[in-house]
Amino acid sequence: MAFVSSGYNPEKPMENRITDIGPRHFEEFYPPAVKANKGKWLYHEILEPGVLVHVSETGDELYTVRTGGCRLMSVSHIREICEIADKHCGGYVRFTTRNNIEFMVDSKDKVKPLVDDLMSRKQDGGCYKFPVGGTGAGITNIIHTQGWIHCHTPATDASGPVKATMDVLFDDFRDMRLPAHLRVSLACCLNMCGAVHCSDIAILGYHRKPPMLDHEYLDKMCEIPLAIAACPTAAIKPSKIKLDNGTEVKSVAVNEERCMFCGNCYTMCPSMPLADDVGDGIVIMAGGKVSNRITAPKFSKVVVAFIPNEPPRWPKVTDTIKQIVEAYAKGANKYERLGEWAERIGWERFFEACELDFTHHLIDDFRDPAYYTWRQTSNFKF
Amino acid sequence: MPEVEFQGKKFNVDEDGFIDDYTNWSEEWVQFVKQEEGISELNDEHKKVIDVLREYYEKNGIAPMVRVLSKVTGFKLKHIYELFPSGPGKGACKMAGLPKPTGCV
Repeated sequence: MAFVSSGYNPEKPMENRITDIGPRHFEEFYPPAVKANKGKWLYHEILEPGVLVHVSETGDELYTVRTGGCRLMSVSHIREICEIADKHCGGYVRFTTRNNIEFMVDSKDKVKPLVDDLMSRKQDGGCYKFPVGGTGAGITNIIHTQGWIHCHTPATDASGPVKATMDVLFDDFRDMRLPAHLRVSLACCLNMCGAVHCSDIAILGYHRKPPMLDHEYLDKMCEIPLAIAACPTAAIKPSKIKLDNGTEVKSVAVNEERCMFCGNCYTMCPSMPLADDVGDGIVIMAGGKVSNRITAPKFSKVVVAFIPNEPPRWPKVTDTIKQIVEAYAKGANKYERLGEWAERIGWERFFEACELDFTHHLIDDFRDPAYYTWRQTSNFKF
Repeated sequence: MPEVEFQGKKFNVDEDGFIDDYTNWSEEWVQFVKQEEGISELNDEHKKVIDVLREYYEKNGIAPMVRVLSKVTGFKLKHIYELFPSGPGKGACKMAGLPKPTGCV
């Protein structure tokens, strides 16, 4: 389509410029039942997987139907969400912090038609467009990142593994059979955008090769001191390099023995790419949580050092996750999060229960705090 | 790399309009970016910011932090935005011929 102006004048970019107005106030978008009962809620119940009811002290009830969302969605999909909201909910809808979609209605008899409508909508390929679920002690949506869709530092894809994993865990999205809720997250590099460091199960993109150096362009493209300072293990130092044509240029040298392939230098310096088709893959972490319920928040720990990238379905990754989920479902007590379970039974038993291999990669060796992760007691199980 | 020609000079630029090499910078480049960035008139304050950036980069090999730029030039961040509507990174560094800012920007 040819260019259509929005009214912006490139000759006078600062003219009629509106700025610093912030987001719209959330109260503008409250459903009437929420507006009327704000701050007056008495209690809530989960009626069935994906359906909640909140009861107000005024007696009002608010029924919420939660459906999965693919997070990366087209405008036509959002229009369909709007169409459902118009049809059932007076035009109101919200998204959760895990990118699920919540439709709210004010009476019980409106719930069933809404759920039936949502479950009847499918993609041409057969996937549910709006699967109802994600509540209580089950598995809700996977927090994830950009992957090969849009980012330049990923070691794996995001949308692809998430789709493959949710397909494997779909029954738990629609059910609440687990001891406690189980959060799964994915980040496509160890910048860890999102929640991988604090999730029950985390999928993390990982490199296994040091960066390649483009000496010819490095000094032109990069601020060399930043690339040096970006390295957590001080593997990078400045150096002078003679190019094939005889000119001497400033560049850096990477001590490959010290490099642990984090990719931070590539973030700072475009001339140090490190993505590699067979080198890159996935690390699985487990046992993190953010809530303060019973025990304090925890970081997730690395439990599988490497699984290769296997697009488009990542079968080894999904199998491993299923294995961990099943072992947890079988072994943990009620209300026990995965990390609490692993700490109660001991991590050696966790590896046994999940049938995971323990390799030397899992032993912390990063600076002084690594020492605290080793076992300074004779308390262990054979 | 695309090549742009301006006032008889040729520059290699990347897709964001940053110059390929710091040493290829010239007065014509400033005029070219001025037009790109929608800055109507270059005054002494623009020149001061550019001089400070180039001097700092030559000495240290990095662009100064925003607070350093403010302190050395004496211009508050707000004023730097008034001079360079795209800001110190996309506006001033581009005009000074510094490499494109990197990281999670």
